[in-house]
Amino acid sequence: MSNPWIAIGALGVVAVVIPLSMMAVSSLLRPRVPEQGKTTTYESGEVPTGTTRIRFNIQYYMVALLFLIFDIETVLIFPWTVIYRDAVSQPEIGLVPVLVPMLVFIGVLGVGLVWAWRNGAVRWVRSPGRERIGARES
Amino acid sequence: MSLVDILGNALGLGPLGPLEDLLLSFVGAAFVGTFILLNTAVAGPWAKRKITAAFTDRVAVNRVGPFGLLIIIADAVRMLSKELIIPDGVDRPAFDLAPLVLVASALLGFAVIPMGNGIQLADPEVGLAFLFAVASIASVSLVMAGYASNNKYSMLGGLRAVAQNVAYEIPLVITAMSVVLFAGTLQTSGIVSAQAAPLVTIAGVSIPSWYAFVNPFAFVLFIAANMAEVGRNPFDVPEAPTEIVAGYQTEYSSVYFVLMYLGEFIHIFLGGAILATVFLGGPAGPVLPGIVWFTIKIWAFFLFTQWARSALPRVRIDQLIEIGWKGLLELSFVNLILTAVIVGVIV
Repeated sequence: MSNPWIAIGALGVVAVVIPLSMMAVSSLLRPRVPEQGKTTTYESGEVPTGTTRIRFNIQYYMVALLFLIFDIETVLIFPWTVIYRDAVSQPEIGLVPVLVPMLVFIGVLGVGLVWAWRNGAVRWVRSPGRERIGARES
Repeated sequence: MSLVDILGNALGLGPLGPLEDLLLSFVGAAFVGTFILLNTAVAGPWAKRKITAAFTDRVAVNRVGPFGLLIIIADAVRMLSKELIIPDGVDRPAFDLAPLVLVASALLGFAVIPMGNGIQLADPEVGLAFLFAVASIASVSLVMAGYASNNKYSMLGGLRAVAQNVAYEIPLVITAMSVVLFAGTLQTSGIVSAQAAPLVTIAGVSIPSWYAFVNPFAFVLFIAANMAEVGRNPFDVPEAPTEIVAGYQTEYSSVYFVLMYLGEFIHIFLGGAILATVFLGGPAGPVLPGIVWFTIKIWAFFLFTQWARSALPRVRIDQLIEIGWKGLLELSFVNLILTAVIVGVIV
């Protein structure tokens, strides 16, 4: 048997070489005509105002934090799903000792999600800047 | 039995040494890469236009070659020979790396997909976990593209992309796990072979136990989460052409635009390939060879995304987050627990 990770590594190399070779071909073909005004960023045709590195909605952080918790949870559920059927079919183990701990585990996270929900972590609030500018009600 | 072993047997080599393994791996990888690129080349410049035109009752690309097929070559030359404009104030390494990472990560996912006729580059025991891990690297490149472009629309697009991907990643993985409960393995070939057994036989025609038939609820959830993961309508909030120009790819031109576009299409096909492997019996199907069935299945998912693109309105960003966290997440956990109970009782 061949080693699967060698093959995956080979595809990784191929997957990087394909875009790099496209970039190389393009650099041979394309013209270069530098010109004032061409390199400004696109802001619907207006002259760009202010910086892009602005503060953005805190909501994005809340969602990312929630994701972190649930992502780790999925990592812990993965091995359980793999052994589940085998473990249940063995007479000396049975259904309850395999299923109940995972129900408790998911239940704890479920309570956590309810808490986050009630605190508005997954409700999309509008950033305070919008009211200051006086944006109309959506 | 992976593609590398089959190549080794065909060449009459015995047990493979490390060097032979490496060389054959490159041959196999080149084949897989070419196959995927061929599909995306047909899909991007040609099929997408044809399909959209058919939906909106127009005629599209019919001038160059038979059925307008040569537009693929014409477009490739046209796009590659455009001037590359790098806007002022971009974060240079990140701006250049983002298209590269997007294409590479999506292509890498195909390493563990069984494509029929023994075409499967690698078959590690953690196949499914590897697949989801690689597929979600794309959101890193979208953030890189959005932040590095020094454009406010790009910034918004990048933020939206990551909020969407993290919201729908959990339902996607949890729903796939409810399938692993049946199959008992993460190996993609194992999941496919577990779906080969007949489910019921109606009038002499036996229906295979594809998990789409065994657990249709999970199938629907998975399609919804998958559409969001690949960023297609109704979940195309990160690009949203009528709101934020083109999202994270606003400032990309020339070959970089080609790569961003290509990466998206490869990602749609990767989404279709995951769907086919986990729910539609992989390359299984009657009469035709496996590779043909696999191609039909990934194109069916592509057609579905294009249909949704023409037929469904886009959700708002707040609706998107609420559908993900308050709807799909709960439903996917309910599905997992119900499946676990049912599997536990019938075993």
